This record gives sequence, structure tokens and C-alpha cells, in this order.
Amino acid sequence: MGWAAIRTYTILVYLFMFLPVAVVVLLSFNQNQFGSFPMTGLSLRWFEALWNNEAVMRAFRTSVVLGLLTALISTTLGVLASLALVRYSVPGKNLITTILIAPILVPEVVLAVALLLFLNWLGIGKSFALLLAGHVIFTLPFVILVVQARLVGIRRDVEEAALSLGASPVQTFFSITLPLLMPAVAAGGLFAFTISFDDITGTLFWKPGGVETVPTQIFSMLRNSISPEINALGTVMIVMTVGLPLLGAAIARSMALKRGA
Amino acid sequence: MDNTKRYERLLERYRNGDLDRRRFLGLLGAAGLAYGVQTPFARMALAQEVQQVRFDGWGGVVSEAFRRYAFDPYTEETGITVVDGTFSGGDEYLAQVRSSQEGEYNIAHLSGVFDYARYVNFELDVELNIDNIPNMSLVMDALTNAFRSITPDHLSAVPYNYGTTGLAYNRAHISDEEIREKGASILIDPAYEGKIGGWSDWRTRLWYAALQTDQSPNDIQDMDAAWDAIRSHRDLALKYWGSGAELMSLLAEEEIYVTEGWSGRIAALQEQGHDIGYYDPPNSFGWQECLFVIKGSPVEACEELLNFMLEPETSIAVAEGQNYPPALDGTKVDLGDKIPTLPAYDPSGTLEALTFADPEYWNGNEAEWSETFSRVQRGF
Amino acid sequence: MSVEAREKRQPWILLSPALGAVTMLLLVPLIFIVVYSFWLRSATGPDVVGFHLDNWESTLTDPFYRFILFNTLKIAAITTVICALLGYPAAYFITRSSGNKMLLLLLLMLPFWISYIIRTMSWINILGSSGAVNTFLMSIGLISSPIQMLYNEVTVILGLVHFLLPFMVLNIYVSLDGIDTNLEDAATSLGATRWQSFLQVTLPLSLPGLAAGGLLCFVLGAGTYITPLVLGGPQDAMFANLVFEAIITQLNWPLGSALSMALLLVLGSLVAIYNRFLGMSQLTKGLG
Repeated sequence: MGWAAIRTYTILVYLFMFLPVAVVVLLSFNQNQFGSFPMTGLSLRWFEALWNNEAVMRAFRTSVVLGLLTALISTTLGVLASLALVRYSVPGKNLITTILIAPILVPEVVLAVALLLFLNWLGIGKSFALLLAGHVIFTLPFVILVVQARLVGIRRDVEEAALSLGASPVQTFFSITLPLLMPAVAAGGLFAFTISFDDITGTLFWKPGGVETVPTQIFSMLRNSISPEINALGTVMIVMTVGLPLLGAAIARSMALKRGA
Repeated sequence: MDNTKRYERLLERYRNGDLDRRRFLGLLGAAGLAYGVQTPFARMALAQEVQQVRFDGWGGVVSEAFRRYAFDPYTEETGITVVDGTFSGGDEYLAQVRSSQEGEYNIAHLSGVFDYARYVNFELDVELNIDNIPNMSLVMDALTNAFRSITPDHLSAVPYNYGTTGLAYNRAHISDEEIREKGASILIDPAYEGKIGGWSDWRTRLWYAALQTDQSPNDIQDMDAAWDAIRSHRDLALKYWGSGAELMSLLAEEEIYVTEGWSGRIAALQEQGHDIGYYDPPNSFGWQECLFVIKGSPVEACEELLNFMLEPETSIAVAEGQNYPPALDGTKVDLGDKIPTLPAYDPSGTLEALTFADPEYWNGNEAEWSETFSRVQRGF
Repeated sequence: MSVEAREKRQPWILLSPALGAVTMLLLVPLIFIVVYSFWLRSATGPDVVGFHLDNWESTLTDPFYRFILFNTLKIAAITTVICALLGYPAAYFITRSSGNKMLLLLLLMLPFWISYIIRTMSWINILGSSGAVNTFLMSIGLISSPIQMLYNEVTVILGLVHFLLPFMVLNIYVSLDGIDTNLEDAATSLGATRWQSFLQVTLPLSLPGLAAGGLLCFVLGAGTYITPLVLGGPQDAMFANLVFEAIITQLNWPLGSALSMALLLVLGSLVAIYNRFLGMSQLTKGLG
């Protein structure tokens, strides 16, 4: 079997992966009123329709607020935990790591049921608070894994130098460690945001009636039929979840270049 | 402002013709702005002054009619926003209400007396002050009495409209004669394999299974035969539809030729120019819908909204929009030209021609039958 | 307080918020649903607290649940095998390719960033009755009316493969990337054909990655309910759909607890077996 065959095979696999998504983006610019093939022309009318669709805009706002809060909390918890795991020799490190990544080892449906029933028993029914708690616990392992991987690469001697020059640990943290940590924090936050923005499995269990996030809104719109508006919303989501990490990576690169120079 | 006064002022403007239908259309945009201000989680604000009422209904053309002819004018006058949500089935919605906090849901467009009885059983009802809803006197007694038989001392809902679940068919492929000859059994006719549809609701499935096996829907003797009929239909059907909008799109795009369907939605399809026939077989599934006020709601604001919605002008406009006859008694109110032509319309005001689901029979067997259906649906 | 003691306490202070969150929001709730699964649902009013075996009895003995569980495992297994067949050559190509590093990285990571629900629903545009395939076939005159391709087990598997393939590619890539290419060259220079050296050197060395990818695909695939809801017909329910229905639609929380514990036990034992032989580190390598 030749290299060319493997190359062709790979290209086909990636076509399989990206083509359907490309069709979503393509159809979202369709002028045709049913939004299906054949395409009759390009138009932004479906994005306009989205902009005027109050339910969609509300879902969008909910998703953004939820994603930002999730990223904030999850990254804070994750960065602290990663610092402890990378910087200190903690007894039982393996066990602790396993516990911290447990939320992704448990099927998300089970996690969703457990959290819903337990918090409901504590008097927190389906609500924004439950939604936030769920998203935090579900994104935390990803943040920890990402941040840990980045942290390992940061050299300690700069901090030690600062400490030996008489800076307090708190001073050292804010003036040396945190700036060095920023790319890791940003990566973790971005990760948490996109995962939260994209989640539907748990969200359907936790959301109160009448509250929709973008994925659950798409899901409920799908129940009627596939409409060009859904494709437009899909395109917006792709821009959000693909564009942000790409932007983040670009910024990180340029920051790294600047620092290198 | 005093609620009654506010209402009277609205009525006056309405009668003077200050608020005509075109104006309602213009209000559509304004309403978008109005409820854009409210955030998804501003429910706590409800405690002090009533700023919004949540209304849940069946979506699609029905929701559009409600919003255009009832909610927007109401909001315009009272300042109370009506936030509307949609559900695709009564069971799913009841579950949502039961697992919600009190006050989260306010008014629901419920189907059938059995639904009313279920909400009462779960103690989700309120006591409406009928004096605040003077338009109740225009409603058919037959409809109100059905609810009174569940709650003799009070009402938690007002009747609003009625309709049937009959047979909808594509007239290019199925003739009027054929549908009359085969009746409900056409849904298990192998000749139409892959072109048959049906609602994913166990009650409707079982009702039609009763008709297909020549049994009385309110007293099914041979349950096994009925379940087998449901299995045959399942295997022949293209898919179960989950909402009125899906029903309409399946028929309109000719993905299916025949299904049972909701009278109003089929009338809407006919209005759009599709050649879809509608036929109520003997013992077709009739239902009377109500506007139910759920426990924990701002009752006075809800009463005001309900009375406004029962106002003949509103009621007729909504009925013409959603294509279901209103609950108003045709012998007391002039219902105009279009309503008497709607499917399922009963001019006598008694509704004796329709067969309704016996609440005791259906609710009594709900747990077992819904469970069995969810298995049959999965091919078990 | 001595520096040493502080040094000892500090990591625990840093860890406690995260550990606290996982404990309160995952571990305790899991124990709680074990307890809950022994309660009983009452037709009206709140669930009955107590120790009843009813939910477990029906979960374990009802043939319906076994039927769905078997179906779920079957779908997950088929999905995993297809993912491996599609993903291995692709990962191999990315590892051994000398092309643009940036592009290859993008190929690895980009699919992860595209939303699950979008990827799932995108197939409706392709296979639906007014989708790309039907439109194409009709325009060239091969068929006169759309054929029904959606809403069956095949489309559910298709959707799952599309969703899970990136996990497989990434995991195989990670393990292939760690293999010294000189090994394969050495084997070739000793007279083995490229194919032989691949089979005897590279493939065995990459098995941990394949296993990690396989486990992820299987567990994620067997735990989903969204894909069958969007791309399946009513017959294509998976075990998680039953959990969703019990909890959300039927409000039968005690039974839902028992069903989700059963799902956790089945999938958890797979993870445990994997952990016993290969350890967790391979899994987290791919995610990091």
C-alpha cells in the first residue's frame, strides 16, 4: 500500500469530517426561502432573521453569560489545583488527579442526573445556579489537563530569583508567576468557555423551563424541521467555537514572539 | 392602576376601532422590543408588581395567532408582557411544570378535560374568580360543565376552543371515497407503507388503534389487539411527528400522504393552498381546549388576560387565525363568516356530535399505557 | 509557623476549592443517587423514602432494558470499529507527513471545536429529503422523488462516527508520534517489507493509543442520547434515552437513578478494566 493511497484515504476522511459542516455554512447564505438545495443565490437574510428572532437572541445571551461565568469559576479552580499538582510534591498525587478528572470519566448523562437530583434535594431545583454548577464541574477536568500541560513548561528559577531578591510570595505570584501563567490561564478559560457554550447533554437536564442556550435552542428548533435559520445559527456557533480558539492561538503566538524578541 | 379600569379602557379603544387588526400587526415589532428587555432570569421581579405572565401553547400557527390577536394588544394596554413558550405534548409539559418552581409557569393551553383533571390531581390548580371574567357567560355551557364535573366548587381554567384529531390525506394520492371507505384503518394499510405518519402521543395512538380494531375508544376491551394495531402502524409509518409544525411540513412536502392530524392545522394547510383533505371518521378524537391557570401565578392578572381573550373580538380573531372554533356559544354571539366553515365546528352549541376522551378512563390507565407505548415505540 | 509547614499546607489550600467542587458536585451526588435508587415513586406527591428493591428489580430483570442495553452496546461497538478503521490511517498520515505543521495541527484539533449539535444536525442537510444527496440524484434524473435515508440506525451510527472520530485520530496520533521512526527503518533495512515492519513494529507500539481512542469512542458513544434523538427514529433509542425519559418526561426519579447507576456500572467497569491494564495516563495524554 503506497503513501499516495494513505494520503487519498486521509483526505477522504477529512472530507467526511468537514463537508457536512461546510454545507451548513453554505446553506446559511442561501437565498432560497426553504433554505435547501438547489441554492438560488447568496443572501444574509437568515442572519437578519436570527437577529430579529427574540428567542434566539435570548438563548445567545444566556449562553454567553453562562459560558463566561463557567470559564471564570472553572479556570480559577483549575489553575489553583494545577499549581498545587505541578509545583508541589503532594502525597497521593495520582489519586487526586483521578478524582479531579472524574467528571469526564463518568458518562455525562449520569453526572447530569446525579447533580440534578442531589441539588434538587438540597432545595436548588432546575435553575441558572444548577446550570452553572453543572457546567463548572463538567469543564473543570479539561481546564486542569490543559493548564497542567502548559504549566510544566514554565521554569521556576525566575520565581526563585524574585523570592531570593526579597519579594514576598504574594508579590512574586502577581508580578512573576501570573504573567508567566497567563497563556495557560487563557487557554484554560477559552477551553471552558467553548465547552460550556457547546454543551447540550447536561444542559437539557439542568435548564429551567423557558430558558434555552444556543444548543438547546437549535435542538428544539430541529423538532419542527431543518430551517435555514438553524443553519445560520449553526454558522454563528461555528464562528464562536472555532474562531475564538484560533484567535486565542494567534494572540498567544504573537505574545510569544514578542517575548522572544 | 386598578385592573378593572385598565381593562375597560382597553375594551373601549378596541370597540372604537382604535385598535384594528392592522394595528395589531404593527404591534408585533413593538412586542419584540418590549420583551427583549426582560432577561431570562428576571423571574424574581414577579414578586412585587406583575410585569409578565408566562403562557405556554402548541407553537406554530396557533402561537402566531395568539401573539398577534391577543397578547400584543393586551401588552399594549396593560403593560404586562406575555412571554410565550411552546410545548409539543401535554405529558412532557406537565412534567416540566411539576419539576419547576411555583410561579415559573402561569397559563397553559391545555387539551381536553383529562388534562384539566391531571393538573387538579397534582394540586396545580387555582381558584378563579369568575366575577372577574364576565365573558364566561358567552361560553358554551357544555364546555364549562365538563370542567365543573372535575372541580364542582371552582374553576381553574376557562374553555377556549375545540377541535378534532381526524384523518388528513393528500388528495392527489388518496381520494375522498377511499378515505370514507377505509376510515381509520387506512393508517395501517400496507399500500401506503412509508407514506403514513402519526403523532408520537400514546393517547392518540391508542384512540386510533381502538378505531382500527372496531372498539369504543372510551372502553377498549381487547388491549392486545389495540397494541398490535399500534405496532402495525409503527412499522408502516415513515415517522411519528412531534409537533403541529412538523405535521404540517410532512404533509406539505409530501413526505407522507396520510396521517391523523389536528383539524386546525389541516385547515391552515388548506388555506395555504395545499390539496389536503380532512375527514373525521366515526368516533373521531374530539377535544376541548382550555386556558389553565397554574398554581403560584398572579391570579388577577391572569383573570384579566383570560377575560380579554374571551372577548368576542379577540376570540374570533384568534379562532380565525388558528383555525379552531372558539368556545363561544354560536347561539349567543355572532361568530362571523369564516368560523362556521372550520372543521369540527358545531353550530348547536352543545357539542354532542363530538366524542371526547373520558378523563377517568384515560387518566386511570395513564401510567400503564404510557409506559407500554414507550416500549412499543422502541420496537419492543 | 515554620516555612516547611507552610510549604506542606499550601498545595492543599490550592487544591481544596477544586476538590471541594468535585466532591460536592459529583462524588456526593453519585452516592446520593445510589440511595435514591432505593426510593419509590409515588403517583402523586413526593417520592417515598425507604429501602425498596423495586427499581433495581425492574432494571435488572426487565427484558426491555436488556434489549436496549444490548442495542446500545452494539451501536457503540460498531461506531468504535468504524472510527478505528477511518482514524488510524489518517493519524498515521498526520504523524509521518512532512507537510505544514500548522495545517496538520489544525486537522487534529479543529474538529473538536465544531459544536456537537451542529455536526449532528448537519447530516440532515446532506441526507434529508431536500438534502444534498437527494437533490443531486434527482437533478441527474436517477430518482424521481426523494428517498428516505434519515432516521434509522445507520444514520445514528454515522452521526456518532462523525462526532467521535476526532477522539480516535488524536489518541492514535499521540501514541504514533511517540514511536521512534528509526525502529521502522531498522526493520525495513533488515529485510522486512514496509507493510511487515508496520505490522510488527509500529502497530503493536501504537496499540495503547488505539485502545485509549477506542475506550473514549465506546464510552462516549454508549452514553449519548442526543444523536438518536436527532438522527434516529423512535426505534433507535439508546440506554441514555431511557434515563432521560425517566428523569425528564416521566419524572420517575427513583427508576431514573437505578437506570443511570446501571449505565455507570457497565461503562465504569470498562474504564476500570482499561485502567487495570493500561493506566489512566494514556487517556489524559490525548486530552492534554
